[in-house]
Amino acid sequence: MGKGGFHLETKDPIIKFAVLDKILNLAKANSLWPMTFGLACCAIEMMSTAMARFDIDRFGAGIFRATPRQSDLMIVSGTVTKKMAPLLVTLYEQMPGPKWVIAMGNCAISGGPFAFEGQYNLVEGVDLLVPVDVYVPGCPPRPEGLLEGLMKLEEKITGSRRFPTPEQKW
Amino acid sequence: MVKTIFEDIKNSIKGIEINEVSYAERGYHLAVEATKGNLLNIIGLLDKKRFYIADMCCVDYVEYLEIVYLFNNHSSLCRIKVSLKVDPERPVAPTISHIYTMAHWYEREIHEFFGVYFEGHDKLIYLFLHDGIDFYPLRKQRVSVPAEDLKLLNSFKPREEEDTFFVNLGPQHPSTHGVLRVVIKMDGEYVISADPVLGYLHRMHEKMAENRTYQQFLPNPARMDYPGALMFNLAHVAAVEKLCGIEVPERAQYIRTITCELNRVASHLLWIGAFLADLGGLTPFLYAFDDRENILDILEAVTGSRLTYCYFRFGGLYNDVDDNFVSETKKFVKRMRERLIMYDKLITKNVIFINRVKGIGTIKQDMVPKYGCSGPTIRSTGIPFDMRTHEPYAAYDKIDFEIPTGTVGDNMDRYTVRLSEMAICLDIIEKAIAKLPSGPINAEKVPKKLKPPKGDIYHAVESTRGETGVYIVSDESDKPYRMRWRVPSFSNLMTFPALAKGSLIADAIATMGSFDLVIPEIDR
Repeated sequence: MGKGGFHLETKDPIIKFAVLDKILNLAKANSLWPMTFGLACCAIEMMSTAMARFDIDRFGAGIFRATPRQSDLMIVSGTVTKKMAPLLVTLYEQMPGPKWVIAMGNCAISGGPFAFEGQYNLVEGVDLLVPVDVYVPGCPPRPEGLLEGLMKLEEKITGSRRFPTPEQKW
Repeated sequence: MVKTIFEDIKNSIKGIEINEVSYAERGYHLAVEATKGNLLNIIGLLDKKRFYIADMCCVDYVEYLEIVYLFNNHSSLCRIKVSLKVDPERPVAPTISHIYTMAHWYEREIHEFFGVYFEGHDKLIYLFLHDGIDFYPLRKQRVSVPAEDLKLLNSFKPREEEDTFFVNLGPQHPSTHGVLRVVIKMDGEYVISADPVLGYLHRMHEKMAENRTYQQFLPNPARMDYPGALMFNLAHVAAVEKLCGIEVPERAQYIRTITCELNRVASHLLWIGAFLADLGGLTPFLYAFDDRENILDILEAVTGSRLTYCYFRFGGLYNDVDDNFVSETKKFVKRMRERLIMYDKLITKNVIFINRVKGIGTIKQDMVPKYGCSGPTIRSTGIPFDMRTHEPYAAYDKIDFEIPTGTVGDNMDRYTVRLSEMAICLDIIEKAIAKLPSGPINAEKVPKKLKPPKGDIYHAVESTRGETGVYIVSDESDKPYRMRWRVPSFSNLMTFPALAKGSLIADAIATMGSFDLVIPEIDR
């Protein structure tokens, strides 16, 4: 990650309920509620993902909430500027835990096409502000890409993948 | 028109420097060199002749700063460039914001990017930039912001007043279509004043243009206006072609027209969905995206991307269209005609919808030149002003089509204008496909490294939201010396504070939705 980004350490809880945890995690992974948080171009692809053709609802993540207090997934879909940065952190802090972040698109990952020498208004990667769980590259990523990112997040939560990995053809 | 204006300005203002320039080379007819003394006289005269303010920008020539005012007329094409030179050490210019309301924002923008002070401007505070920047970004040499100006950053401070309160709409709000923030002062349910705060997505496109060659800048315009990416792509490409004198083959011109119109339909569909969602109806959103995906499929096959297209090249296109594209487009046009009837039945005659939009957010015709708004916003007031017929580009001059207009200029009219515009887009696509000539798609001998001759140029196209213009200053190198984007949403949004004043907050949201705002385009 470098550049002083966040390193989120997850500590094991003191008391463990193995079976109950598994069930709870399964429930969490299958009902992620994303926040309506469109920043730039990627937001349109995020909307496409929620619509009929790609239908994010198949994975239980279709309830986009307009307030951070009701959501547990933040999809950072677009460029984060220095003016927007403090607001993004505020929004993240308002979300109740457990919470996850998907950095969607090159801008949210590293500044993407807008990171050039002499830039004065860009946060080069949202991981400098909040911990990121899944990175989805692309400019903008296709809706399939976002869905794949969502499944990666589910894998992270439950420990196993929902579907078998697609066959690699190259 | 050009001749009479030329005579008028020359006769009424003594000792004025006014020249007729070649429109084909420069994109404007008259160049007026103003001084601080006679600037207000010239602007006042143009205001009397009902010229509208197309753009206002600043160029740093190191020895001096030049403030450029661009004007045009709705009834007949007459572009005038008024330039004013100011001293870079102590840049001061008279304000024109009391004559043209839109200049209010343009002057604030120039102030924060170049450090020019406008005498008489009542609210010269920052509009775009973030807290903590201490230099003027677009100056060629590093100039620090004076300490007293730094205090003006982020200068919104709510003051306690009796019975009023502030609502911060945005930057994260579903109905601001992105990251726009509007500070609304309210008395109960009624809006007393609305003050947009911009710059949450300022991505430095204009600064980037100065660091990139013309070719390297090609992907950028699409990221400025993502729902109508091809039109912005075309604005950049066509301006550079005009500057370098590159002739584009006819087949490429027709393909540009067809793909742009497909993109326009897709953009309008997205707007219908989002507008209705703002008003509380989510169903049309799902219908609109269904149709939109069909267009994206067609465009993806030829352009290679779904959203941020970079399809046009200097002198032609990236890729030729095939028979499959033609047949798919024909199929889509047929399907979309039926769907438009369905949209009409679903939305237009819905009583709830009519009550929410009729008679709300009315733009009067005499407001239009002061704000310089364009696109469906101006057409809804009854002025048939469209860059495609006003200043034809691509193959629009070879195709007959009508311009739909409204009568009142309220939210309902903006909706009906867009709906009928979609039907006309389909007509244009059909006619262009019928006429599609064969031949090459790329101009011969376009140099790999473009080095346009010295000079400036303004070129405008009609994007989904209105007049999108590019003002390029070239210094014979392969990078633009200055590239300025005149974006339609910026001037359309300027009307919002005036329209929202005194209305209910729910109506103000409807008005904002009706403009079809795209925030990256406003912030650039």
